[in-house]
Amino acid sequence: MELARPVEIAGSDVGAAMAQPEPNPVRVTAFGRARQHSQRVRVLKLLLPLAAVLIAVAFPVYSYWSAPPAVDVPTDTSAFSDGKLVMANPKLEGMTRENLRYALSALRAVQSVDNENIVELEDIHAKLPVTAANTATIGASHGIYDREKNTLDLDQEINISTTDGVVAKLKSAFLDMGKGTMTTDEPIDITRKGSQITADTMSVKDNGKVLVFENRVRLNIDPATLQAGKQQGGE
Amino acid sequence: QSSSTSSMSGLKLSGDKPIQIESDKLEVRQNENLAIFTGNVSVVQGPTLLKAGSMKVYYVKKPEAAGKDKKPAEDAGVSPISGGANIDHLEIDGKVYIKSDDQVATGDSGTFDMKSQVLVLSGKKVVLSQGPNVLVGCKLTVQMQTGLAQVDACGGRVMMSLTPNSKNAQ
Repeated sequence: MELARPVEIAGSDVGAAMAQPEPNPVRVTAFGRARQHSQRVRVLKLLLPLAAVLIAVAFPVYSYWSAPPAVDVPTDTSAFSDGKLVMANPKLEGMTRENLRYALSALRAVQSVDNENIVELEDIHAKLPVTAANTATIGASHGIYDREKNTLDLDQEINISTTDGVVAKLKSAFLDMGKGTMTTDEPIDITRKGSQITADTMSVKDNGKVLVFENRVRLNIDPATLQAGKQQGGE
Repeated sequence: QSSSTSSMSGLKLSGDKPIQIESDKLEVRQNENLAIFTGNVSVVQGPTLLKAGSMKVYYVKKPEAAGKDKKPAEDAGVSPISGGANIDHLEIDGKVYIKSDDQVATGDSGTFDMKSQVLVLSGKKVVLSQGPNVLVGCKLTVQMQTGLAQVDACGGRVMMSLTPNSKNAQ
């Protein structure tokens, strides 16, 4: 409070002093210091905001500039490729209704994310039991396995061979593992020990117990095998 | 009941030639050791040709190994595909037509027993003809190995017509 009042008195003196002779030295040094102070304030009044602005601008620029262009997050070889789950050599085993083991394996299985029941198999190898002593080995280059219905749709070349010597070549086939049935509506060619069956369609029911061939069925029996058959029968 | 036997050779089954069977449909029942050919069945072996509506092929059942340990019979899957299966007998029906060289026999149905190699054709009117010679009866039995054919009239009369000069015409 003390400070405020003297300033007013000084103000009026300054006006009066202009015309008076040399004021006393104490007032002059005080006045000098005051003037220096106000100069310093005037300069700082400008400098400080400027510095603030400068810092405000420099900081984001600097941080942007120093951030690395791209961050590569190291991940291991993901099993996903273009939205599909890829499994290397999957295996599947189960029991048919007659409680006989069947096995299915493939080189690659591709499963689309939106429907995980459908699995596309490549280079398939399947073992289906015909009877306890006789199993059919099926090789196919491509097929679609439906886990829900337990069926396998082989839409390309298929080779089947059974332990009792039957060799079958099919163009396509639809297998129902659970029921143990297989159907194909493309020409088939089945041979065994010299005798051969060709037909336009074939369907195999309950695990190979019943085979139905239709349309242009042709069976060639080579007598040598018939003779062999007789000798076998003769023992 | 008069029956006449005439040894018309020709209807022979030449055992060494491959047999070719064609049909519209074939159903193989492994458990019953049975194969059923249906739909214009034709069987060709060498000179012999057989045509029929359907043909059932019965295979020899493997005798159950009584007493031996209950190992499942090895080739339980007896079927034409297995080729080696030996056929027990055939049943043919639906207008049977058999032709071998110059002999033709027709009937309604027939059976053929592999072991005895005997073919029996039966029906209302069974006709066996060789060139112009014709034999009509109701049952024709042919020993396929010797070609000996025997026609029975089963109550009716066997009608046989021989054209003498045809004998040496062949």
